[in-house]
Amino acid sequence: MTSAWMLVATREIAVRALNKGFLIGLAVTIAMIGGLVGFSAYMDGRTESFDVAVVAGDDAALTAVESARDGAAASDQNVELDVVRVDDAAAAEAALEDETADAWLSSEATPGATGATGDDAATGWSLSGWREPDGDLAGLLGTTVRDQVMTDRATGAGTTIEALTAGSEIETQRLDGNPVDPQVVFLAGFVLAFLFFTGAVGSGAMIAGSVIEEKQSRLVEIIATAVPLRQLLAGKIIGSSVIALAQNLLLAAVGLVGLSFTDLSAVLPAMTATMVWFVVFFTVGFVAVAALYAVAGSLASRTEDLQYTTTPLMMLLMGVYIVTFSADGVLERVLSYIPPASIVSMPVRVLNGDALWWEPVVSLLVLVVATLGAVLLSERAYRGALMQTGGRVTWRSALATDRGTTLGA
Amino acid sequence: MSDLEVRELTRVFASGDTPRRAVDGVSFTASSGLLTGFVGGNGAGKTTTMRMIMGVLAITSGEVLFDGSPVTRHDRREFGYMPEERGLYPKQPVLDQLVYLARLRGIDAPAARREVLEHLDRLGLASRAKDHVEKLSLGNQQRVQIVAAVMGQPKALVLDEPFSGLDPAAVDAMADLLREHTRRGVPVLFSSHQLDLVERLCERLVILGGGRLLANGTPDGLRAQGVTRHRLVLSGDAGFVRGVPGVLAVDVDGSSALVEVHDDAAASRLLAAALDRGTVQEFSPVRPTLAQIYREVTA
Repeated sequence: MTSAWMLVATREIAVRALNKGFLIGLAVTIAMIGGLVGFSAYMDGRTESFDVAVVAGDDAALTAVESARDGAAASDQNVELDVVRVDDAAAAEAALEDETADAWLSSEATPGATGATGDDAATGWSLSGWREPDGDLAGLLGTTVRDQVMTDRATGAGTTIEALTAGSEIETQRLDGNPVDPQVVFLAGFVLAFLFFTGAVGSGAMIAGSVIEEKQSRLVEIIATAVPLRQLLAGKIIGSSVIALAQNLLLAAVGLVGLSFTDLSAVLPAMTATMVWFVVFFTVGFVAVAALYAVAGSLASRTEDLQYTTTPLMMLLMGVYIVTFSADGVLERVLSYIPPASIVSMPVRVLNGDALWWEPVVSLLVLVVATLGAVLLSERAYRGALMQTGGRVTWRSALATDRGTTLGA
Repeated sequence: MSDLEVRELTRVFASGDTPRRAVDGVSFTASSGLLTGFVGGNGAGKTTTMRMIMGVLAITSGEVLFDGSPVTRHDRREFGYMPEERGLYPKQPVLDQLVYLARLRGIDAPAARREVLEHLDRLGLASRAKDHVEKLSLGNQQRVQIVAAVMGQPKALVLDEPFSGLDPAAVDAMADLLREHTRRGVPVLFSSHQLDLVERLCERLVILGGGRLLANGTPDGLRAQGVTRHRLVLSGDAGFVRGVPGVLAVDVDGSSALVEVHDDAAASRLLAAALDRGTVQEFSPVRPTLAQIYREVTA
């Protein structure tokens, strides 16, 4: 004979997997991840092209734009420059206004800002746009112009630019040997916090809904006479944990596969390890979340009460979401040991490379203990609250032994 | 013979500072092979008693016996139970959830399926087996619920208001179904507000009021306990009955009177007085209806 908890879990999974809302939500999330990956791959691969206006006779500017163009073409910066020759300053402004040029490089004083920068204004370089010129373009041209000016001056002083700048380069190196960019870590923290939050709240709300559905309809009274409530709860927790796990595995896989198509593919091994830790932490932690949400469901007496009974949990998860993706330093280190924040913080530290090998293991043990505690407490409260009808039930009343049912164990 | 017996069953709800005794020392037996009707007004304690019998609610004191010994979880697993408020999984097909509930009670899947289909067929729901429960009318949902209770040859049936909301044909079908189970020697306890129905169906009657047991026995036995009334029909005016000692005039309408006579002497006096005034067309005992008995015991 199949065990009761297996029957319950199977039903939970089947009902959930066929739920339209759940499937649509999942599809939307996958589409969002796909879209994000696609967008980032597109941004990485995209070639930006700029038309830069130069006034006839402004040879210095022409040289600068051309050498910037050649430099950009030689490197893999994905920037293309085209020179637009115009007759005079007025024509340059007109070209900017009607968008035949994106920017106007001038080695003379800025037409509109004469004297603004003081004595050197007459020989000042300027880059004008109809609106603020593009930052990348300004950076590229700025570097080129600076090199060009310095080369001229070095020649004037009887030396070379190489001689002047020799030995002034700073080479950055990272002693922990971790190839992962801090920005990537931040982004990953954000994504993990998001996955945790949506997974926990989404699946949590479903288990609470499934509990109140049975309580409100008194179906639970029929079920409780047939199987121990402990088995019913276990089946529900296991069923929704399987769903939540499958959902996160799917999203993680989609994310990682997507990542391999982007410039971030170098961090894939580190990211995969992080994802594995996250999935393990999440699976353990979700069991506690599911158990607590089951209690929230049993404390309600009608579906409408759920928004009150689930609010404290929602706040907790929301807090974890906000704190973990922004935490760093000591706070992050502390959070990486405190459930449920550790579900997000520890995997992020693994990615960051600052967690020693035993740290995730210890943190996982803490999480397992906390989960066991939460499940045991929840089991008592669930049994206590489930048969109390008429109005919302408090945690205290749910845990009072004399009010419950005799069908628990 | 496996009777379902409750002894001195008491339930106290600690609501706020004043504990409320919802059920107070109630004892009765739902005998095997008999339909026992459980009657009482709102708040009389019927549902609380049934929930305690099923173990859904913890018992404050007293005990529930099945077949002479305290009821166990294993016994209850084989009881058919229909809770007070109706409802199943609204978005699951009828067949699926009945099979699920049957399997939870330990019936294997093929047997559960067979039995569910058989019951649905009997109650005229075979064509709705694949429909979601929420698509069914309330009466049909009620039938699905009764199937959930009677699946798997239960050892006892505890049904809270199984007849409410059913049309007369469905009431008869349901009654036949319950009789089938009593014929197997199973005790069936069901609560109802419909006294005429209880009177028609039940071999035993338990009346509850304010958490206490008010009456318990066969309908005939309970009637016999009540004060018998007599109808007197004369050729002339019947108003004089009000003056006869030992006679209580319940209702006088022209030449007809409904009276309660307290003893045989009073009956003789009444009849003699009536014959003095003319012909007596009718003098007959009026058997009280269950509704009257109910009103008397709950008054």
